[in-house]
Amino acid sequence: MAYFNRYIKPYIRQYRWLMVATVLLGIVAFLASSMLTFTSGYLITRASEMPVTILLIYVPIVGVRAFGIARPVARYFERLSGHNTVLKILADMRVKLYEMLEPQALFIRSRFQAGDLLGTLADDIEHLQDAYIRTIFPVVTALFLFLYSVCTLAAFDWQFALWIALLMGIVLFVYPLLSLYFMKKRQIALKETQSRLYRNVTDTLFGIRDWIISGKKERFFKQFHEDSQESHEMERKMSFWNHNRNFQLQVISGMILIFTGIWAGHAAMHGDIAPTYIASFTLVTLPILEGIIPASAAVEKIPAYKESLQRIDAIRQYVPDKSRNSAVPGEKADIRLEHVFYYYENEPAAALNDVSLTIPHGQKIAVLGKSGAGKSTLLHLLIGALQPASGTVSIGGHAPAAYGEGIHQLVSVLNQKPYLFATTVENNAALGRPGATSEEIEEAIRQVKLDRYLHSLPNGIHTQMEETGQRFSGGERQRIALARILLQNTPVVILDEPTVGLDPLTEKDLLDTMFEVLKDKTVIFITHHLAGMEKMDQIVFLDEGKIAMQGTHAALMENHARYRKLYQLDRGDA
Amino acid sequence: MDKHLMQYKGSLKTFIIAGCLTMIQSVAIIVQAVYLAKAIVHLYKGVPWQEAAAEFGIFFAAHLIRHFLQWAKSRVAFRFAGRTSLHYQNLLVEKLFRIGPRAISRHGTGNLVTLCLEGIPEFRTYLELFIPRFIACLTIPAVLLVYIFSQDVETGITLLVVMPILIGFLILLGLAAQKQKEARWETYQLLSRHFVDSLRGLVTLKFLGRSKSHKEAIWEVSNKYRIATNRTLRIAFLSSFSLDFFATLSVAVVAVELGLRLINGQIGFEPALALLILAPEYFMPVRDLGSDYHATMNGKEAGEKIHRLLAEKEDFGNGLSFPVPVWNEHSTLTVEGLEKQSPEENRAILQDVTFTARGFQKIGVIGISGSGKSTLIDLLSGFSMPNGGRIRIDGLEVPHLSFTEWQKQVNYIPQHPYIFAKTVRENIAWYAPDAPLEKIEEAARTAGLSDLIASFPNGLDEKIGQGGRVLSGGEEQRIALARALLDARPVMLLDEPTAHLDIETEQEIKQLMLPLFEHKLVFFATHRLHWVKEMDLILVMDGGRLREAGTYDELYRKKGAFYELVEAQRGGVEHGILQPVY
Repeated sequence: MAYFNRYIKPYIRQYRWLMVATVLLGIVAFLASSMLTFTSGYLITRASEMPVTILLIYVPIVGVRAFGIARPVARYFERLSGHNTVLKILADMRVKLYEMLEPQALFIRSRFQAGDLLGTLADDIEHLQDAYIRTIFPVVTALFLFLYSVCTLAAFDWQFALWIALLMGIVLFVYPLLSLYFMKKRQIALKETQSRLYRNVTDTLFGIRDWIISGKKERFFKQFHEDSQESHEMERKMSFWNHNRNFQLQVISGMILIFTGIWAGHAAMHGDIAPTYIASFTLVTLPILEGIIPASAAVEKIPAYKESLQRIDAIRQYVPDKSRNSAVPGEKADIRLEHVFYYYENEPAAALNDVSLTIPHGQKIAVLGKSGAGKSTLLHLLIGALQPASGTVSIGGHAPAAYGEGIHQLVSVLNQKPYLFATTVENNAALGRPGATSEEIEEAIRQVKLDRYLHSLPNGIHTQMEETGQRFSGGERQRIALARILLQNTPVVILDEPTVGLDPLTEKDLLDTMFEVLKDKTVIFITHHLAGMEKMDQIVFLDEGKIAMQGTHAALMENHARYRKLYQLDRGDA
Repeated sequence: MDKHLMQYKGSLKTFIIAGCLTMIQSVAIIVQAVYLAKAIVHLYKGVPWQEAAAEFGIFFAAHLIRHFLQWAKSRVAFRFAGRTSLHYQNLLVEKLFRIGPRAISRHGTGNLVTLCLEGIPEFRTYLELFIPRFIACLTIPAVLLVYIFSQDVETGITLLVVMPILIGFLILLGLAAQKQKEARWETYQLLSRHFVDSLRGLVTLKFLGRSKSHKEAIWEVSNKYRIATNRTLRIAFLSSFSLDFFATLSVAVVAVELGLRLINGQIGFEPALALLILAPEYFMPVRDLGSDYHATMNGKEAGEKIHRLLAEKEDFGNGLSFPVPVWNEHSTLTVEGLEKQSPEENRAILQDVTFTARGFQKIGVIGISGSGKSTLIDLLSGFSMPNGGRIRIDGLEVPHLSFTEWQKQVNYIPQHPYIFAKTVRENIAWYAPDAPLEKIEEAARTAGLSDLIASFPNGLDEKIGQGGRVLSGGEEQRIALARALLDARPVMLLDEPTAHLDIETEQEIKQLMLPLFEHKLVFFATHRLHWVKEMDLILVMDGGRLREAGTYDELYRKKGAFYELVEAQRGGVEHGILQPVY
């Protein structure tokens, strides 16, 4: 219910008129089809009395035709309006989800260790369409039809209306609640089995080489057959429950029809209704029940929405703190770290332990260290995503956080796998500078030496990246990202292991280009290899959060046997 | 109609049973309508309801039979659909092991998982719904029409004429919607992917300082998507509208027609009422088929994908077996004119590769990206099959290396060893699940994992991999080494295992690996030069061909391709001769 109040209700309120219109159209469609049956029943009966002139049944004739047309028309517009409303809500939900994710963008991977969480969340939002179209709209329509028919009947005979309300109540309330109760447990169990299957199959396909080599694939088949059999068995039970329910609901419908028929005959005998209406009252039960029976299937889906909302809600738990920005980014930016300590939650050891570092503007500095030595922590401190536990970090005289979003005009980051969006190369590059002219973009492309290659493609810089940029090789993708960084044109550039996964020749070319185009900027080069160290002004070696070695390449070669050994290893001289 | 539909085991039986049940059902529908009409006419005449009880009773019995038959048909169809889809799911999963890892990554692992686990239920839904719906469409209107004609020819003609018009419009509008959808397909894809794309690229947007302002873009694109969707839906919904429209309108026309003829006394009250009740039933099967159209279409497409995949050529282990001896210091593996075609591009990615590996040689395979290193390692480990050339092991000629007797002798370590979503213990004991605890601990210790494991709250039983604790690249390699230590096999194949590691970790891993290589035949693909020095034989790959082979000193002195590669990496000589295959 909390989820309903938080994620569904606000939208119902916001789009109430569209919702009302949709539901009204739905009701009109059902009423029209009921009235078609009712009127045609009357028409046939009245006609059988052979009235002297056709004019006496003129009104029902027109009615029958009008209702026959009204039903499909209302239904058509109901569907259009429903989808339009829901798509509006989805647009808002997407923005809302994005707002929740954006402040914690850098930590999503470490906080939520679930496979493709982002893809799942996007799907969750899509699935919420059904909450409106398949659950809320049909249930509201069914409720209205129920009230409408019971009230109409009550006008003739309140006792019988009560009796019908009871029978229809079974269809509208008892069965849906029973379905919800029975299906909930089964859906949860099924979901569990299915996600186990999902995990196992994904795991197996990614690790298929190991399975093949191990010669034990039969073991996997056996496990898979058992699991899929189990999941199939559950689905069979759910399906059979549905078949049974449908049958039972149809039996009840038949009973309601008979009761109504008998009542109508009885009422006609006592003069409560004209005998001409017996057929109408009897036959109209079926189209009305047609609108009420779907309630069970609609309500049954609620646990699925709950699950999606739960996942979305888990994101919300991390409330971001508001950033205050007072400092204005300048042209130059000297970087100073003084006795910086940083601790992660639940980890006793310091991620950064008394790190002091000065990087004057324009310097090229390399940061080396094993994974977990504190390289990423340092990066996050420099862009203000983390605050030091003690000590100070300053860029251009202010703490990074003091710039707020302005920090990105000061520091840019090129990471290992820069994301390239599913749009053109030009648009990807232009993300670096809003409103960049095409000359500026061309110039950046030329600087990163992609101009020849891109111009050889039929669409030039308007070539699509394709999904996650499959068309371009690793080196080319880094170059496109580099062009984006050039357009961003910040005084400080952090290169976060940009060459991992590239072969040495590609790596060397790329590094040459990078240092050439970034020659006027401060470059913090986080790296795993020692290629290019000779050109650096300063090399910092992090080890368990501390600076283990620091100096120029020449100084380190001279003073540190450890560095010497690593350098020789890297060159293949060792 | 789907040409596969009749080929499934038991589909003919299902069709026949469903057909028979539907025939009886059609009769029940007629009885139901006739007796309901009779009952109403009785009541209309003002008799007490007890006298209409028999008619109501028969009506109710027919009603029960009709819906009971519906229930039975659903069960029969579900049983058939369930059995068939389960069978195909198993075939599919087994097939995946036979098309090999390359084809799997070509199809996209995610797509295949989706096909196996979501495509199969869709396929089942298709079989489950389509068979009874299709038969109902053929049977019920026909039987009803026969009865209606026997009662009143004019109503029969009206209904008979409307049906083809209705179906014609349905098809026509369906095609129009399809055409429009296709015309906008690309825009659609871009718009619908935009949100996921934005979420996945959030870190990059953040670094670019664009993450806050991107919110507007999301809203804008979502709305563009909405408008585009609305436009398509306007056409798409027209096809169900036309169905609805003609069906409802012809019921209305039938009602009016009957009314007019009642006035003229051309038809009795009771038959007219029965016909009125039957008119909507006549259209019901077609409407049902239409409303489930989308559910069944997805399933049909999934079914087609499944059939296509099952028909795909197998690049891998055809179950043959060759009695090759256990690799020892006197064994030889000779490869002559080895060739591999890329199935996608019809182009050789490896050709004319000839060499001999002897005893416990350490063989380095080097070359730039795309030179054919990984292809060669894949052929040697039997993950794919060559398209040409000869392979001999100790003189025994084999067509490929995808057979159990060879693969059982092979340890394989790639750049990113896959860590299964299981415990550390299960991961280490992957190849030897029955290994005793001491052995597992020893392997972990030798691979330098003891400290890491000690830092886990659950020690060896800590969950790692997807959904568990994330390991660094170095730690992944150590797990792979521990696996190889626990289940030592005489041949080791390594594909660039350390290039992505930081230099110190690389050095540590190297120290662990070197002793492991002793008394083994080792193939080691790398472009890290320090590894090359440890090798007895170096194969230099270039553009899919073997350019040079020899020891480090021989090749370096020769000043050929190898020399060039080494010097280019060290930043000395300009390169330009080495070519990738693409």
